[in-house]
Order: sequence, then C-alpha cells, then structure tokens
Amino acid sequence: MNANQQEAGTADEVRLLRDSAADFVKRSTNHQRTRALRETLPGHDADVLRSLTELGWPAILVPESHGGMGLGLTSMAAVLRELGRGLLGEPVVANWVLPVRALEFGDNDDLKAKLLPQMAEGKVTAALAFQERNGDFGSNVTRTTAVTSKTAVLLSGTKRFVAGCSGADGFLVTANADAGTGLYWIRREAPGLTLAHEWHADGTASGILSLSGAPAEAVAATPATCAAGLARALDEGAVMVCAELLGILSETLDRTLDYLRTRVQFDKPIGSFQALQHKTVDLFILQEICQSVLEQSVRVMDESATTSAERGRMASRCKARLSDAGLRVTREAIQLHGAIAMTDDCDIGLYFKRAITLSAWLGNAEYHRRRFASLQPPGN
Amino acid sequence: MQNWNSMPDHDFRQFMADFIAQNLPVELRGKPYRLGWEKSKPWFQTLSKAGLIAPAWPVEYGGMGLAAAKHIIYLEEMDRAGCPWMNEQGTMNVGPALIIHGTEEQRAKYLPRILSGEDVWCQGFSEPNAGSDLASVRTEARVEGDELVINGQKIWTSGAHDANMMFALVRTDKQVKKQAGISFVLMDRLQPGITIRPIRMIDGSSHFNQTFFDDARAKLSDVVGGLNNGWKVANSLLGSERLWAGSPRHAYKYLAILEKVARLAGRASDPSYIERKTQLTLDADDLASTYRRTVSTISTGRGYGFEASLLKIWQTELSQRIMELALEISSDAGGLSGDVSLDGETINLLYPYIESRPPTIFGGTVQIHRNILAKNVLKLPS
Repeated sequence: MNANQQEAGTADEVRLLRDSAADFVKRSTNHQRTRALRETLPGHDADVLRSLTELGWPAILVPESHGGMGLGLTSMAAVLRELGRGLLGEPVVANWVLPVRALEFGDNDDLKAKLLPQMAEGKVTAALAFQERNGDFGSNVTRTTAVTSKTAVLLSGTKRFVAGCSGADGFLVTANADAGTGLYWIRREAPGLTLAHEWHADGTASGILSLSGAPAEAVAATPATCAAGLARALDEGAVMVCAELLGILSETLDRTLDYLRTRVQFDKPIGSFQALQHKTVDLFILQEICQSVLEQSVRVMDESATTSAERGRMASRCKARLSDAGLRVTREAIQLHGAIAMTDDCDIGLYFKRAITLSAWLGNAEYHRRRFASLQPPGN
Repeated sequence: MQNWNSMPDHDFRQFMADFIAQNLPVELRGKPYRLGWEKSKPWFQTLSKAGLIAPAWPVEYGGMGLAAAKHIIYLEEMDRAGCPWMNEQGTMNVGPALIIHGTEEQRAKYLPRILSGEDVWCQGFSEPNAGSDLASVRTEARVEGDELVINGQKIWTSGAHDANMMFALVRTDKQVKKQAGISFVLMDRLQPGITIRPIRMIDGSSHFNQTFFDDARAKLSDVVGGLNNGWKVANSLLGSERLWAGSPRHAYKYLAILEKVARLAGRASDPSYIERKTQLTLDADDLASTYRRTVSTISTGRGYGFEASLLKIWQTELSQRIMELALEISSDAGGLSGDVSLDGETINLLYPYIESRPPTIFGGTVQIHRNILAKNVLKLPS
C-alpha cells in the first residue's frame, strides 16, 4: 500500500465514523433530556453512554496492541464535531481522550496492558486529575505529594477542575515524590479519597478530588516521562475540545439561520435585514476560520514528526480561536434570536452554556494567546 | 521543458530564492509603493526570459503551470525578497480571460505579447456610476461593420498611463437585463479616441486614471467570450482578484511593519502591545490556514467559490487593524509624512496606513461581499 492509498484508506475510515456519529446524533439528540440531566450525577444518560460504548468509541484512540481501534485524532475529531452538535460530547474528551493518552505516553507497560483494554471496552472509566488551582496547567504546579510507605505510595493533596469525574472508576493523578512529579493511578474506592463537585456552567460536574494518604495502585508515568506525556495529552485534549466546540458553534449557527429565515417582523423574515445579514456572515466567516485551524491542528497533532514546541503552538492557536469563537457565536445567536433565546425553553441557551464550559476548560482563549506568544520560535 | 510540479517543494523554494537573489536589482527591492513600468520593466523581462512571469498559466500557453501549493511558494519567495509590484493586468487578468474564454486567434495574437512585456494592459471596468454595482456600466459600444464604436467614461483605470492596451466592459445591449448586455472587449489604449486623466490620491500617487472614450474603436474580433457575454468573463476574473486580496501575505507584510514600529517606538516588550499583536498574529495565521484550505480545494478542479469573498473580507479588515495598531503605538512619529527617522532607522508609516484602506473598497466593498455571502451561501431572504 503506498502513502496515497493509505491516506485514502484513512479518509474513508474518518468519513464512515463521521457518518455514523452524525446518524447517532440525529437519532439521539433530545434536549428535554439535556435539561433534565443538568446538575445531576452522574450527569449523563445511561442509555446514551451504552450506545456510544457499543459503537466502539471509547476505543478510538486506544492502540490496536491493547485492544483498541488505534485511530488518530482526526477520527476522534470527526466524532466529536458531530457529538457537539447534539450536546452529546460529554464525557468523551475527559474519559476517552485525556486519560487514554496520558496513560499511553507514560512508561508503565504493565499498567497499559492491564487498563487500556478495559478502557477500550468501556469497562473501566478513567479521568485525569492534574489541576489544583485556578489557571494552573502543566506538571510544574503540582503540590499533591506521593509518599512511599511500607506497603504503598500514599497520595495527599487536592485536585480541582476534574472533568469526567462522576462516572470515573479511577483517576490519573499528578503528584510529587522525591524523584520528581509522576502520574499515579488510583481507584475511586481507595481509602482516603473523597470526591466532591462544583457545577460547570452547563450543569455538568467538575470534580474536587481530596486525597489524604490515599494509596495509589500504580505509577502510570515516572518523572522521566510524566511532564512531556502530560503536556502532549493536554495539547491533544485541548484540540479535541475544539472539535466539540466547532460542532456546537456550527449547530448554533445553523439553528440561527433557520430562525432568521422564518421569523417574521415588519412583515418580512428578519433575515432579510442587512444589519442581521452582515452580523451573521461574520459568524459564518468565523466558523470557516475555525474549521481551517482545527483541521490543520488535528493534522499536525497526528504527524509523528511534530515536535512538542510545534504541538504546543498549534494547540494554543486552535484553542484560542475556538474558545473565542464558541463564546462569540453562541452569544451573538442569543442577540439574533432576541428575547426568546434568554428563556430556558429555547435550546440556544444550552449551546451557549456548553460553549462557556468548554471555552474555559483546558485553558481559555486568553491563556492560550499568552502561551502562544511565549512559545514563539527563535528569531520571531 | 521544466516540469515545476514534479520538483520537491523545498527545491522549488530554493530555486526561486536563488533566482531572485541573483537577478533582482538591489534598488528595486523592498519598495513600499508601486514602481512604474519604466522602473520595473527590466525585472519583468528577466522573469519573462526565464519563463517565470506567468506562474498560473498552463504550460502550453507559456506559463509555469504551477499547482496551487507551488504557486503559494512562488508568491512567498517573491514577497520574502521584497520583489516590486509590477503591472499584473496582463498576466493576472487578460491572460486568464483569454485562456478560458478567448478564441485560438486571440490567444495566439495576445498571449505571447503579454509574456514578453511588449503589451502592457490596463483594466476598464469601474465607472463613476458603476462601482460596487459593476453591472451598471454605461460606456456604450455600437457595432459598425466589423468594429465597435465606443463612447463613455471609465474611472480607477490603474496603470493606464503605462499601458498600450486596454480591456473593458462595455454596454452592447440596452434592452435586456443589465448583466446580459455587457461585452468584454480588447482595444488599443493609445488610439486618438481615448484620453486619460490621472487622479491624484490621498497617498500622493497618481496611479489611477479617468478614461474618456470619444468614438474609440475596437475590432469585433477582439470581443472575448462572445458579444453580450462579458459579465460571465468578468466574473471569472473577479474570483482571482478576490483570492489575491485574501492572501495572508498582505497581512504578514503589515505585521512586519508593525513589529518594526514597535521596536523603534520602544514598545516591543510592552505587555499590552504584545497581547494585541498576538491576537493579530493569530488572526493572520488562521487566515493562512484557511487560505491553504481554499487553494487546495481550487486546485482539485473546482472554480473560485464563496471562499474568495470570505478570505477577502477577513484579510483586508485584518490588515487595516494591524496598521491601526502600528499608528497608535508610533506616538508623535505617527503624525509625520514620508520616511521618518527613528533611532537611526527609517520607516514610512503614513504610506502603509493609507495603503491598507482601499482593499476593503476595490473589487467590491467588503459590505457588498457580505451581501453576496448572505444571499448566495447562507441563503438568507432578500
């Protein structure tokens, strides 16, 4: 098989996945359910989760050698874009992207062999707990400690902003030992582990994980691989959030266009008014810009030759753009709909709040612009 | 014959860079303004003799036949080296119009003369009452035997003073819907029936002209694409003009000016400046991603679509925002005209600031392009 055939093969796979995701979203979108699940635990519908699992999507990124599909981020992005349209994306990035990648980029092959096949089948759900204070990213801000006792490694500290926490069977937790910061796998039922929640803007749960001498089950990444692996997982995760955001803003734009074509005031469809047309065209342009930067980002992330600095710049470019655009499109959609969109009965508000949630997660636009500026290649 | 497209991208880039370095006279480099034909002619002829003057034309007509990715490299290397703007009407507009819509006789007669620089062309599209509403052209052409007799007035005829040939949109039928009565015709610019008058612009240049037709004559055989079919021919050119206007290289050029201003004005490490510059850089980088995505779809055989309008809007408004920031941070120097000395270096602020304004106007204002997108792409009601 030559490179072109391989690429065509991949394109076909991506198309199939996208079509099946679009079909799933068409059948399963139900915003009465979306409303009912807000600020509840676990916060997702068991039937929807079962269907997603049956479609094999927890396995998309898991390597074939560990029982997964071994597909790239291009495939995952295609699924997430569609799921975003139906507000069905939770908890894909949190449970099926971040922990899978963080584990894979670590150096515990036995743990990979044990956990990844179960994660691929949806039998074990993991979440990544790396953040402690507001606005802290990366591994150099960890205060949680890992102390080796006679029988186990005991973790102590508090993790905040843990997404995908409510259905998690265990957590990948960053913690400092004498040798440096590592990534530890700890079970939900471990003694000394408690989980509390605060609510995201969209009513999904954001976990607060308290650890007081809680025994870890294994080291997922030693200090030798932890920082680089985590950075890569977070960059990839940020781009995957962008895929979901693109689905959200595209759906919001489509619904807004429908409204502009049908809502009549002054005896005309309001979409005939130039002021509204121009505002909407600007949102459409933004959508196209977003699609371009997302497609390029996913491609760059999937290329094996990409350096960590390039990955960081690309991820920050992408998340800066999509975080901004997600917020802008959804709030302008409210303006273009008028007062009806401020009511809880109107679906636009659901998209608006999901966009707020995802825009802030894994670094908002302001954070990523600053990071992009700090990662400029030498000479610029 | 050289097959440029089979050359690896890196080698092609190197070839272009080397060629420019070895052949472009130093005094023509990095000029912020257009050079007249007299000054730029030697460089045109150097490119012409090397077969490098028409990157997008098919090889069979004497072009380089570059695929989209190679064409981008060609333009990037030209920009990087500060190659001067030259009269591009022949290679960018008349040539492609003839290649797509012309007859064999027209191509044989005109294309070689465009490539050699023997003919220099100017464009007669806009009129005092047909700007964004281009289909309202009134310059009238009446058929007399095997000739057209032309009367009326054009405006914004760029480079008319350097040109010996003109292509124009003229009204050949007043009885039909306005788009259906227009013809695209080629004519001798230097004939007695055509007079031009330069228009002095706010940047001090006189590149644009008014053009007056007083029983000017063109051959019927020089109508391109058939009588009354000119709107279609013109539209096939406007796409490439929009795509040109949407290229990120313009924005990058202004970003380089902004960075120089920031350095000379002592603002380069000011956090508030960095924050704003970063936003503009991201806007340019994301435009570049979109431009590449657009160009790659065009190269797979589709014509210019709505994407060209989209790129034009984003790019031209971005360039303006960049120059607005440059002026804002330049302090007192921002109020000076011409080359300004700062910290022992020279920079011209006023020229690029003014130069960034008209791209949101010519080729259809950005407001008209928003109308086009609203109607044709978003299918919003009228």
